[in-house]
Amino acid sequence: MATTADSNSNALVMSDISKAFPGVQALDNANLVVADREIHGLVGENGAGKSTIIKVLAGIYEADHGSVWVANEQLEQLTPQSVHERGVRFIHQELSLVPYFNVTESVFMAQEKQGVFGLATRKMRRQAEDFLANILGAEIDGRTLIRDLTVAQQKLVQIARALIDGQARLVVFDEPTAVLGAADINTLFGNIRELRNSGISIVYVSHYLSEITEICNRVTVFRNGVDVDTIHLGEEQVNGAGNVVSGAANGSVRQAEIIKLMVGREITDMYPESQATPANTVLEVDGLSDGIRFVDASFSVRAGEIVGLTGIIGSGREALVDSIYGQRRVSKGTLAVAGKPIKLRSPAQAVSAGLVLVPRDRRNDGLVLDMSVADNVNVATLEMVSSKLGWHRRQQAAQRADQLVEQLDVRPRRSDTIVRFLSGGNQQKVVLARWLTTDSKVFVLDQPTTGVDVGARSEIYALVAQLAAGGAGVLMSSNDLAEVLGICDRVLVMVRGRIVAERETSGLALDELVALTTGSALEGVEGVAS
Amino acid sequence: MSGRAFGLTFLSRYGFLVVFLGFFIFFATQSDAFLNTSNLVNILEGNTILLVAALGMTLVVASGGIDLSIGIAIDFGGWLAIVAMMDHDVAWPLAIVVGVIVGAAVGAFNSFLIVWLGVSPFLATLGTFFIGGSIQQIYTSGGGQVPFRQMPTGYQELATGETWGIPNEILIGAVVLFVFYVLLERSIYGKRIHAIGLQPSAAAVAGINVRAYLWMTFVVASATASVGGIISTAGLRQFTPLAGFSYLLDAIAAVFIGASMHPQQRPNVGGTLVGVLFLGMVSNGLNLMGLDFNFRDALEGLVLVGAIALAVSQRRLPGRVGSPA
Repeated sequence: MATTADSNSNALVMSDISKAFPGVQALDNANLVVADREIHGLVGENGAGKSTIIKVLAGIYEADHGSVWVANEQLEQLTPQSVHERGVRFIHQELSLVPYFNVTESVFMAQEKQGVFGLATRKMRRQAEDFLANILGAEIDGRTLIRDLTVAQQKLVQIARALIDGQARLVVFDEPTAVLGAADINTLFGNIRELRNSGISIVYVSHYLSEITEICNRVTVFRNGVDVDTIHLGEEQVNGAGNVVSGAANGSVRQAEIIKLMVGREITDMYPESQATPANTVLEVDGLSDGIRFVDASFSVRAGEIVGLTGIIGSGREALVDSIYGQRRVSKGTLAVAGKPIKLRSPAQAVSAGLVLVPRDRRNDGLVLDMSVADNVNVATLEMVSSKLGWHRRQQAAQRADQLVEQLDVRPRRSDTIVRFLSGGNQQKVVLARWLTTDSKVFVLDQPTTGVDVGARSEIYALVAQLAAGGAGVLMSSNDLAEVLGICDRVLVMVRGRIVAERETSGLALDELVALTTGSALEGVEGVAS
Repeated sequence: MSGRAFGLTFLSRYGFLVVFLGFFIFFATQSDAFLNTSNLVNILEGNTILLVAALGMTLVVASGGIDLSIGIAIDFGGWLAIVAMMDHDVAWPLAIVVGVIVGAAVGAFNSFLIVWLGVSPFLATLGTFFIGGSIQQIYTSGGGQVPFRQMPTGYQELATGETWGIPNEILIGAVVLFVFYVLLERSIYGKRIHAIGLQPSAAAVAGINVRAYLWMTFVVASATASVGGIISTAGLRQFTPLAGFSYLLDAIAAVFIGASMHPQQRPNVGGTLVGVLFLGMVSNGLNLMGLDFNFRDALEGLVLVGAIALAVSQRRLPGRVGSPA
């Protein structure tokens, strides 16, 4: 409930914050209290409300209810400007830098300094270089183009841009390490500690629990829109050489505690019984690398099997799925569908080989939003509703669509509805319907239940189970771990571009899987991005 | 639906047809000659080239692109058909084939730039436009006409002859119109082209070979436009360099006037036909009234902008899901 707003040692107090979106209570009287000069972790599963509360703080969402104090001063109206004026800064996960701007221009973008003769270019450059060298410990020439920097250096430029005016008092880091390799992460942690020591409070949002326990003083855990607890993590342990020891016994105990708080959710009989009687291999991926986001991915999917693929943001999971479907170039490795090798050049080739995709970005990649349900259902298989020469048999197309709409219970049950106006769950059914009657051998489902309500979810699960029972192989990429455990027979876990674990799901505990995906069970895994 | 909303919907769907009819009645009352059968046939006949070019443009715009080099395809088609007959004694039916192939080659060059090199359609076809114009000037000593008075009658009759009492030009236009209607509105290829134009990423994920379709789109559009060029040279018994350019902007206008009448503002064959006829009627009417021909362009601009603004305003009506915020 209401927290100690009167305490004068808090950099940030957000109390009783509620925010509802149509159909979802994203925040339900949630609290977040960050003390002065602390690094405060913020964790929770997807949809737990952490990004919503950050967006409330940023003035992007207006809370339905609740109050916010920054440095013991209550903010009545949060707008991006008012929050900025109070010294709150955000380091977003995306870099959002202009590749052909140089370092100085990027740091001073939208806060340029004027001299007597227009822009004070030299002064800005000196300031940018000084800031990068003194505060962030990186010697970078201010004239270097952003595209010539490493990702880690770009991250520093992004940080410099937020802090260069010297007004920052509270900095929110959102998944700052998602793009970084192991060595760069240590450097970044050093920088964050420096900032804290100079008097700035930090909010650190991350999926990587090992990072949370390593760098944070306290952590607040969100679940279902509420802060379920705030734990003290104590002081960092520093070894003789002055380096912080990671993966200390203390750390993993704390991680287990956090995971329990994060999950705490019941898995009901939402998921169909596994009927896997795996037969021959239908998808064989061998040594696939794209040289950037993932390396050496090897696995197979057999007919009748549902294989999960999971991994948090930055694990390379999305890139791997795209490459399997021919949407992303690969530098190495092979892929075979039903024993036949296929070249990974275009989705059209994948489809004709019998490998189909239900994409994660339903509204951009899954559906042509301004076409009808019937057109969307038929668009991949127009030959089935046309004459040999290509005359479109509209009646036949409508009939086929009506049948599928009926079978999948798409609402409204009219195949002439424009799909833009359907709900998320019904849109997803339309994408699934497209491939149902195609005799495809491999179904790749990427985040098939994102933005899908509970009712439609279980229907989609039943459908996926049916596909597998009908002899197809299913590869289901998902970051919803409960879902992965519920429906998949096996699960592949990716961390930093590598498949680091493969487990049968029967008998696998949810917190064990969380530990695998957050890398806390696998200290020292060498990343691709390093 | 409120009264105002209904009014706007009605206006954007049929408003243009009302304007069309209004002008028709206006010209009919102002000029005795306008309603003569021969004058109406003139309008149809005189706008076949524009129709053919606009149909090609409709295809390109439906696929999400634009073709600024349509005039080059018109020029090259007519020019090389004539050259084939004049300098190489090619039989006239074969010369037509030569002209269409040359037109297709212009399109293939666009496709190469767009699909292979990844240049945007606007810039790629702008480049083709400049290159093509320059080539014409180089080989015609700076844009001199290429007359061909001894043209085979068969070729000449493409523009001047009649079949079953109907001018050949109108027949050719009707055939191309029919082919495009089937292609774009009734075949599965048209469905795919519309899908690509609306959402290329979704079309690709659905397994449509987007590159191949875009390739074909530009080739077919240019080949079609070259038919216009062939008709033009047949009618004039000469090739006038750079004449094709005059059709470019009208073709674009006709396509978008037509699209504004579609419930989802999609380019469509029927709409393009209406757009072409409107432009043809206005030129003809102003001409007969002895009014300044320069009014025509202003009218064209007003109607184009007005029709599109209406179509967009209908999308913005309150209460419609998905309306822009």
